[in-house]
Amino acid sequence: MSGRVLRIYAILYLVFLYLPVLLLPVFAFNDGTIIAFPLNGFTTAWFAELVAIPALHEALGNSLIIATVTAMLSTTLGVFAARASTRFQFPGKAGIMGFIMVPLVLPEIIVAVSLLVVLLQLGLSLSIWSVILGHTLICTPFCIAILSSSFSGLDRSLEEAAIDLGETRLSAFRLVILPLVTPGIIAALLISFTISLDEFIIAFFLTGTEPTLPVYIWSQLRFPQKLPVIMALGTLLILLSLILIGSAEMLRRRGLHKSGQKDAGGFL
Amino acid sequence: MTKPLISIANLQKYYGSYHALRDVSVEIGPGEFFSLLGPSGCGKTTLLRTIAGFESYESGALQIDGRDMAGVPANKRPTNMVFQSYAIFPHLSVAENVGFGLRRRGDLDAAAKARRGAEALAMVGLDGYGDRAAHALSGGQRQRVALARALVLEPKVLLLDEPLSALDKKMREQMQSELRRLQRHIGITFILVTHDQEEALTMSDRIAVMFEGRIAQLAAPQELYSRPATRDVAEFIGTMSFLSAEVRDGRAEVAGLGTMPAPDGLSGPCVAGVRPEGMSIAEAGADGPLAAAEIVESAYFGDMTTYRARLAGTEALVEISMKNGPAVAVLEPGTQTRLHWSPDALVFFPA
Repeated sequence: MSGRVLRIYAILYLVFLYLPVLLLPVFAFNDGTIIAFPLNGFTTAWFAELVAIPALHEALGNSLIIATVTAMLSTTLGVFAARASTRFQFPGKAGIMGFIMVPLVLPEIIVAVSLLVVLLQLGLSLSIWSVILGHTLICTPFCIAILSSSFSGLDRSLEEAAIDLGETRLSAFRLVILPLVTPGIIAALLISFTISLDEFIIAFFLTGTEPTLPVYIWSQLRFPQKLPVIMALGTLLILLSLILIGSAEMLRRRGLHKSGQKDAGGFL
Repeated sequence: MTKPLISIANLQKYYGSYHALRDVSVEIGPGEFFSLLGPSGCGKTTLLRTIAGFESYESGALQIDGRDMAGVPANKRPTNMVFQSYAIFPHLSVAENVGFGLRRRGDLDAAAKARRGAEALAMVGLDGYGDRAAHALSGGQRQRVALARALVLEPKVLLLDEPLSALDKKMREQMQSELRRLQRHIGITFILVTHDQEEALTMSDRIAVMFEGRIAQLAAPQELYSRPATRDVAEFIGTMSFLSAEVRDGRAEVAGLGTMPAPDGLSGPCVAGVRPEGMSIAEAGADGPLAAAEIVESAYFGDMTTYRARLAGTEALVEISMKNGPAVAVLEPGTQTRLHWSPDALVFFPA
């Protein structure tokens, strides 16, 4: 009896989670500008229209640049912080790590407004770089969290063994530590890329004349006749995320298997 | 000893305010199987890691093969280490693990490196394991890979940090004799850190027993066991029963045993120690020094029986181990008997 209730609960939960997402492709292929049932017929016109909007291409380009740079910056910073926190002891470590992780729970609107104030006070103009700055700020804690678990799972002796066998600290890190944390690095790159790609609030506040994709989508919502195009765009984005996350998880599992580590649970 | 290979003089090491090594001085010869033995936290691993170059020291001197090691990093020392966790690189194959240290050897071509790696694997009994994934090995095999990986570089000194503690008892005993044989075969110095006194006794040429950052005694196994320098050493190695004693005018009065000649340099209250095999249950009609006692406890082990006996007229309990045999009766608790002992079996410590 309770098993049946739980099963129904689980199914309802999944429906609630994924029904809106599933509606996206349905309306993306619907031949009609009104987002409502009944459906009118099949068309690929909305996808064709995507190709013909230069402003969209610019926004997508901006987003990709921002997400790529943000992913690399925050993962690099994450590697430094995760290694420092798992390998070394230094005064004030707990406090420092705590403050680094706080942006994880800070309301984004607060971060966005205060960054805007600071940038304007410094007399800096808003550009792609101001968005990258904001995104790196919120992505770094995620990267640290992912990478810390990779680094802390490593036996300290591994590095010493490599040094004992003639390597320097740097080459020991490159030859032994890096290959073992590569799955974590890929996961961190991917998560920060994804977070940056669909982040709206910070991008909205800090973007200048170069909107990101979410900001562009938001601006288009004022025109109801553009909605099906947005649906088509959303469908493509979902497809892209599925491919990205799926392949990253595959890479991660293969890496774990190759090095014989136990699967401590990835993000998928 | 001829010229020492490792010479350590007055080494002092602190971790913050914690005094980890207190004025440690020791010389270790070429080809010696040397053990650092002590309870956890005694500084034995710190001393080993100092020799390897992973720990610095505040004062004192460390020389290996006549060269001062101050400022010489671990990767430039003629030492290699087998880590307690073995530290096998999980992402590499067995052959890649063993060949890791040869990576930087410009004088060897790929074929020579492969040959040296295969030789090292054969030496530890892992012939043909080169292509296996390192993470798929058993504990004993990992240890052999760790050994081969260290020995392939032909170090002057092999450092072993509790290498057998992760193995089960049977495997451990097998590895003990294998390590000993390997050391004799290649003839380099082995320095073993262990908290297992049996392991140290069976394997070593000499043993340094450490307590609280100090070397309490440095001696060959037999001397360490039969002539412990302090009561701490005596208690740490094997079993010893202690009896209160009083030395006056060169004669020792030992509770329950009577008087006997005392060793030089002792006077006043002291403690007499005796190993379980230093005493035996006397057969009827035996002569020599005898002491009346009552059996309090007995434990039967098949080949041996160990007893705890109370010496007449005292509260002191002594432990006695007796070899069992067809003509030897196993005594029940409560039996009144006489103990045979030899004055040579007694060791005196200041109280």
